[in-house]
Amino acid sequence: MQREAVIREPLILGHKTYHDVTEDVCKPIEDKAPRMWYVLFTIALVIGLYGVGSICYLLGTGIGVWGLNKTIGWAWDITNFVWWVGIGHAGTLISAVLLLFRQKWRMAINRSAEAMTIFAVFMAGTFPLIHMGRLWVGYWVLPLPNHFGSLWVNFNSPLLWDVFAISTYLSVSLVFWYIGLIPDFATIRDRAKKPVAKRMYSILSFGWSGKAKHWNRFELVSLVLAGLATPLVFSVHSIVSFDFATSIVPGWHTTIFPPYFVAGAVFSGFAMVQTLLLVMRKAMKLEAYIHTKHVEYMNIVIMVTGSIVGTAYITELFISWYSGVEYEAYAFLNRATGPYWWAYWSMMTCNVISPQLMWIRKLRRSLLFTFFISIIVNIGMWFERYVIIVTSIHRDYIPAAWSMHYPSHIDIAVYIGTIGIFFTFFLLFARYFPVLALNEVKTILKGSGQSYKESPDYHKNH
Amino acid sequence: MGVTKKYWKGIEELKQTPDFIQQRDHEFPYPSSLASFLSDEKLAEASTGRRDFLKFLGFSVAAATLVACEAPVTKAVPYVVKPEQVTPGVATWYASTYYDGISYASILVKTREARPIFIKGNADFGFTRGGTNPQIIASVLGLYDSDRLNGVRKKGSDANILVSEADKAVVTALSKAKDVVVLTPTVISPSIENALENLTLKYSVNGQSAVKVVQYDPISYSAIRKANALNFGEGRIPSYDFSKAKTVVSVGADFLSTWLLANEYAVQYGSTRNPDGAWMSKHFQFESIMSITGSNADYRAQAKPSEYVGILNYLLKGLVGEGSGSSSLSKEATATADAAIKALKKAKGESLVVCGSNDLGEQLLVNAINQQLGAYGVTIDLNNEVRLFQGNDEEVNALFSRIISGKPPEVLINLGTNPVYNSPNGVSLKKGLERIGLVVSTARYADETSSSASYIVPDHHALEGWCDYRPKEDHYAVAQPTIRPLGDTYSSLESLLVWAGKAKRGGKDSSVAYDTISAGRLDFANLVHNSCETLNITPFIPAFTEKRLNSQTKSGDWEVVFYQKTGIRDGAMPSNPWLQELPDPISKVTWDNYITMNPGQMEEMGYATTFDQETGLNMATVNVNGQSLTLPVYPQPGQAANTIGIALGYGRGSSGEAIGRAAYQTKEYGGMDLDANGLKKPIGSNAFTCLTVAGSQILYSAPVSIQKAEGEYPIAATQIHHTVMGRESIVKETVLGEYLSKDKETYNPAHKLQRLNEHGHHEEAAIEEFDLWNAHPVEKVGHRWGMTVDLSSCIGCGSCLVACQAENNVPVVGKDEVRRGREMHWLRIDRYYASGVESTVGEKKEDGTFGYTEAEIAADNPAVVHMPLMCHHCNHAPCETVCPVAATTHSNEGLNQMTYNRCIGTRYCANNCPYKVRRFNWFNYPSYKKFTEINPAQDDLGRMVLNPDVTVRTRGVMEKCSFCVQRIQSVKLEAKKASRTVQDGDLKTACSEACPTQAITVGDWNDNSSNVYKSAEDKRSYQALEEVGIKPNVWYKVKVRNEG
Repeated sequence: MQREAVIREPLILGHKTYHDVTEDVCKPIEDKAPRMWYVLFTIALVIGLYGVGSICYLLGTGIGVWGLNKTIGWAWDITNFVWWVGIGHAGTLISAVLLLFRQKWRMAINRSAEAMTIFAVFMAGTFPLIHMGRLWVGYWVLPLPNHFGSLWVNFNSPLLWDVFAISTYLSVSLVFWYIGLIPDFATIRDRAKKPVAKRMYSILSFGWSGKAKHWNRFELVSLVLAGLATPLVFSVHSIVSFDFATSIVPGWHTTIFPPYFVAGAVFSGFAMVQTLLLVMRKAMKLEAYIHTKHVEYMNIVIMVTGSIVGTAYITELFISWYSGVEYEAYAFLNRATGPYWWAYWSMMTCNVISPQLMWIRKLRRSLLFTFFISIIVNIGMWFERYVIIVTSIHRDYIPAAWSMHYPSHIDIAVYIGTIGIFFTFFLLFARYFPVLALNEVKTILKGSGQSYKESPDYHKNH
Repeated sequence: MGVTKKYWKGIEELKQTPDFIQQRDHEFPYPSSLASFLSDEKLAEASTGRRDFLKFLGFSVAAATLVACEAPVTKAVPYVVKPEQVTPGVATWYASTYYDGISYASILVKTREARPIFIKGNADFGFTRGGTNPQIIASVLGLYDSDRLNGVRKKGSDANILVSEADKAVVTALSKAKDVVVLTPTVISPSIENALENLTLKYSVNGQSAVKVVQYDPISYSAIRKANALNFGEGRIPSYDFSKAKTVVSVGADFLSTWLLANEYAVQYGSTRNPDGAWMSKHFQFESIMSITGSNADYRAQAKPSEYVGILNYLLKGLVGEGSGSSSLSKEATATADAAIKALKKAKGESLVVCGSNDLGEQLLVNAINQQLGAYGVTIDLNNEVRLFQGNDEEVNALFSRIISGKPPEVLINLGTNPVYNSPNGVSLKKGLERIGLVVSTARYADETSSSASYIVPDHHALEGWCDYRPKEDHYAVAQPTIRPLGDTYSSLESLLVWAGKAKRGGKDSSVAYDTISAGRLDFANLVHNSCETLNITPFIPAFTEKRLNSQTKSGDWEVVFYQKTGIRDGAMPSNPWLQELPDPISKVTWDNYITMNPGQMEEMGYATTFDQETGLNMATVNVNGQSLTLPVYPQPGQAANTIGIALGYGRGSSGEAIGRAAYQTKEYGGMDLDANGLKKPIGSNAFTCLTVAGSQILYSAPVSIQKAEGEYPIAATQIHHTVMGRESIVKETVLGEYLSKDKETYNPAHKLQRLNEHGHHEEAAIEEFDLWNAHPVEKVGHRWGMTVDLSSCIGCGSCLVACQAENNVPVVGKDEVRRGREMHWLRIDRYYASGVESTVGEKKEDGTFGYTEAEIAADNPAVVHMPLMCHHCNHAPCETVCPVAATTHSNEGLNQMTYNRCIGTRYCANNCPYKVRRFNWFNYPSYKKFTEINPAQDDLGRMVLNPDVTVRTRGVMEKCSFCVQRIQSVKLEAKKASRTVQDGDLKTACSEACPTQAITVGDWNDNSSNVYKSAEDKRSYQALEEVGIKPNVWYKVKVRNEG
């Protein structure tokens, strides 16, 4: 068993026993849902259904119900897509990359972060689908054998790479998440008294019996999947960034995009994790497992990735001037001083200035402040994508075609709707799934738990 | 004893074997199945009953459902007996003639399966030499307007009556009446003239004819006729020849777009704008509004309409050599006038001065100047009179006064004029008309004037009937029908003859008009083939008599100019959505009427000077002559200070007349916009009500007062950014002196990019040396279609745009969608103004003042460039690489092809197109209610205008210019059938064909002898955005201004 130095802050507070861990995680599932859950779920569902209705209207009428025009072919649709994909980054990063780096603090947050990832990727995947003019023939992006002769997809197109990147990422994340859930489902199954629940969890747990052999395989599969998922964390957003980087639009055609997008994605993903977990730990009384130290760790990630993003912004500006390309220079000047200056400066404030506040220890350990900043960061990251997409194409090469983008109410409804659907899923997850990887957390109870760090036992062994 | 022979089927029957008897009596060998099945008592207890029942139920429901799913029945009637000259799939062209009262052209009409679908100018016959204008090209759509009258109407009823009933009433009234007036647009048809004469002869009282013919032009040019009457003794409009004019001075005349025979002049003018020719004309323009002509001028000065007389006086004095005299003109106008005098003197005898004013005093001055210049006999041919615009303002005004004051004629025959709409006193005129005993009209719509007529005997659409014309003294032309009349309509020539008792109605296939026109002509077939012939004329030797009159143009603190827009003109085609959606070549605004004002002054006065999708323009109320109009104020660079411009031709159907759906305002999400009284709201306001009569002339300018009004008004413009931001690689221009004396590097430098050489130093290299991709193997292999656009020749008239729309089934989307930046035009004409920090469009001033903020604002009197933009068919097309499903690909002839049925609509291609020429089908334009309810081009009849060679695109796919690929295929096929290769000149795209100035050249770039190759290799050729490395197949040619 791994042990940590006593001066390190414990990862599990209080005097928790193994049973306590089980109780803490399983209790909310077994108990009746609190009234607040129903309230939140209803709100999320209503918003989500409004979104679904708007999408149906969009599909029935045409893309014209959005605010796009001849110059601006993408706006909120692809902004939302990139935003959600970015959010969907934290989960896999936490579970895969931090697993490889043996960061034990991830255990408290990885389950819900991964759930968030999967739901966010679902939402993200919606946008490239519904932004198509003819969704009903959307399957043509798949390289399927067909009766059209030698008709094949265009492997030059970054949009096609997206199809592969997103679908691979989604499937690997889903499998990874589910593998981790199996032992925890088994625990719930074993405790469940109601026959329906027992049967459901029994199916979900794939006959897990907790044998040593099972644990052995579990560990191995986790490691293999972590190894598989790690490159995906970097590839997905790199490929998403190619949608822009390989084009010839000034402001899109930028080699800096892949690392800049990945950093931005981790940045926004961690912010979303913070937003969700700060509420969840309170609501589900998980303060002992997800506490200030976890929040601080995540804030440090936010600070680092935020600084990378900030550097990238400044680099872009410098290169646009240094390159001497007239259109590129104008694109960036236009971002900062053109009609969309407010979007640019919102982005700069939210993404460059706010993470720098995390240098102050008091602030990065303040839960309330963290919650506030996590929202700000996600607003900023939405604006980042909006700035990149819309302010680049609204004024590109031919001034006579320059235009402005105004979102329609359907644009807004679809976006808000996806947030509603996302929370619907997340609330269902919080209600029926173990939100903490309880069996994994048990492995660090003795090494990093407060009670063990303070027990005489612990000192005797060191 | 009868013997009946018996036949047996076999030996068994003969022998009556038991087996046979058994089989005969029991046809079914086993016990009767149905009876026994039904009588089976166990049936009710059968264990499979329920299942079978469900099976039967399931089958019946499924079958019933499937039967209900029958595909909609589309009727297609085959040719049972194929007409000899119609081959399905092969177009038939007819030579014909177009005349609508304000435009005249020799045209060719394309018909497919007997439907006219396209009109182009006839370049081989007729003096218009292929010149047309947007209205002429778009008129084909009017043929299929379902709102056109279909049947004879009697006042107060929407039901059709028999034409004989109307004829009877008219003839009865005519024979009783002592005072009959025929109100007609200028008649240039000898046959109609003849019919009118017959009518005059037939009805007379006491030996005096009771019938008087009054010709009425909504746009009057009577001052020119009167001035010539005073100077030369005969009131003629002369033939002008701009092709011989080395110096052209126009004072307020928009002669390239709307003035007199503008489509003829545009062709002539275009021929003088070649900088490589023996000479290039020098064009001076003095004007208040920014007109198309002004935007093409080498020198343009702003002036108030009341200053025109001063300018003309100044020019005359300068030419006579009396010194400049005391000039009340602005510095700028004086400088331009001085330059003009110099140029006119230099080109004496080969120059031309024209004036757009309808003021007699001013036209007399113009005549004096032209006399001084020796223009008569060279650029002005008085001998060959233009027979259009014969309306006499005095006569017309007298008639209208009679009608208004209650002493109207007893019978009024209205041959399709609409004075209630387009004369200043329309409202009182309407009341007066109602007091007339019998008004019979031949209008095609129950419009403002005709809706109150006793009878309407609607005329054919121009493409449905025979007519003849004599537009000029020496020119005779015929128009032939290209389709059997679609509705129950009657040629007005026939109606007149019937009313004159000279003919009988001939029904739908009437030959009355044909017989009249072809009577006595043995060579009629040849005439129809050519559509026209030249007549001998008696020479008219003019002697100039000096005569001066004072100008009647009143000056004011603010002055208004009433002008015509190229698509709308006098407002006679309000229900033509192609024209309503044609962006005004200068303002780029569609579907609307507005006040143009100088942006600098607007800013001072607190008006918004920018607008976009959501931000509209401020309203203002103008008071002219006791009439007021409230319209949005549009910032128009180049508008003279203290002047405003308002277009005529709007505000049609203010009482909700049935003049077509496109004539009215629509709501944001579809449907007609109704006012408080439930009436359809007209588009814009009627500026004809504000025209003033000074002396005996109708004037198109007046003093005005203007007040800001409440409200913001949404404007739908296809271009909301007006300068090129100093971007040199989009538009290139130079001046003639520099072009002729310097080498290519000065005026058309090749774009160079920087790279590092092997020593790590920067070096410049040509763009060809930077290439990520392998070239498409189209160079020197087979065809490579290319196009060149000469910015020097392009006058921005908009004909190409409408022709493209007609040829390629481009949908009309309506004002709301244009406002949202979603017009579908495959070809657009970008119009750039020079900003204050550019010496000319795209050229940064060398003094280092350039800044982007300043570059966004057009100069006060800016240089203008018109730049037609269509798909460039890039050889390294950025759209092709990004399509995930390969819906847009490169052809082996260098075309960038769009495969509609493969497109999934990601719009990535449009984002990556640097020219932004791709158009997305945001909605299902042919069937979504927002478009079908209001758009006459989208109903069953309107769809007959569709070109069957071009797919109608569905919702959710991308489309764009195809270089008229259907025509490319067709010329290839023709060449193949003739066992030859495609010859240069075989291929003409819709745009190149429509261009009056031959600015667009298309052809095979791989053919080194082709015009397009030569043009592309010319020293003036460049490719827009060349440095992006997309290798387009469209070349532009540097605009050369004859300045300096």
